[in-house]
Amino acid sequence: MVIRKSIKEIIILVSVSVALALVVNTLSPRGIALVGQWDITKGVITASPAGDAAGQKKEIDSVARAKTLFDKGDVLFVDARSQNQYGNGHIPGAVSLPVGQFEERIESFLNRYPPAQPIVTYCSGRTCEDSHDLAQFLSDVGFTNVRIFIDGFPGWEAEGYPIE
Amino acid sequence: MCGFLSTDFRAGKRKDIQLNKLRQSIKNNSWIELAVRWILGLTFIYASYHKIISPSDFAKIVYGYGLFPEIFINLIAIVIPFLELIAGLALIIGVYPRSAAMIINALLLVFVTVLAINLIRGHEFDCGCFSAGQSGYASSSEVTLVRDVIYFILGIQVVLFEGHRRSCFGRIISK
Repeated sequence: MVIRKSIKEIIILVSVSVALALVVNTLSPRGIALVGQWDITKGVITASPAGDAAGQKKEIDSVARAKTLFDKGDVLFVDARSQNQYGNGHIPGAVSLPVGQFEERIESFLNRYPPAQPIVTYCSGRTCEDSHDLAQFLSDVGFTNVRIFIDGFPGWEAEGYPIE
Repeated sequence: MCGFLSTDFRAGKRKDIQLNKLRQSIKNNSWIELAVRWILGLTFIYASYHKIISPSDFAKIVYGYGLFPEIFINLIAIVIPFLELIAGLALIIGVYPRSAAMIINALLLVFVTVLAINLIRGHEFDCGCFSAGQSGYASSSEVTLVRDVIYFILGIQVVLFEGHRRSCFGRIISK
């Protein structure tokens, strides 16, 4: 009898929680999709694949393609990781613009590069969305040619390409 | 020899009875029960806050444990924080307190299992993300594991309690 009562109460509490969770998640601007993109072979992992449709077009999803752009020389690589990680090693010639310090740093960045400057952002690979956030922020302040190298520094390093 | 054994036995028996009394007095102490409900309730409401504010970050943490099927990761990240919130509120207000404590202990059991499995297999996930690096996962898995076990033991008191439950908000709904 006691057990039956507990089961009933637990079902009520769980149902209220699930209903509230789904309603809040649907209404909240920070809500996520019901199913995320967690397959690392398909690209960057993210809880909200639907919201990133525009971002996915700008993705560079092979290290070789990033290297081709690098070799052309006119593309600016921008490192979205922390200053520390940048200091420990980065793609040669890359500029550090930690996404967490975007507001403090963007002014001097804007003074140095024209809006048409081709940019490739990167961070710590497919488990990291910082390069996507940075690309979005850079587009928001007026840069017109921003792409995202999704394999990031670990992918670059693993291929044995030069680092500095 | 025999006498020695029997005194020992009697002393052991007395000790047993004393322990039993102590256990009973802790189990059915309504002030302890109230305190435990508030401690667990506030802890779980607090814990749910950041997860509710930022479900995508929590989803990434769930992914990082490397134990859940890909299609369930988002659902887990959406529902668990609200389970924590509702169970925490229920404990504090005094709505279905025993069932709420059972839910919280079930969650704690899952957390402890997940942490233990990853500690044993040496699995540590670092997404290399700026936000995660900044906020830092304040405490290590070991500390969290011990903390969760303590919460679990506290939760058992609320589940086993058989007396009249105290409340700071009028009448207790259900026992």
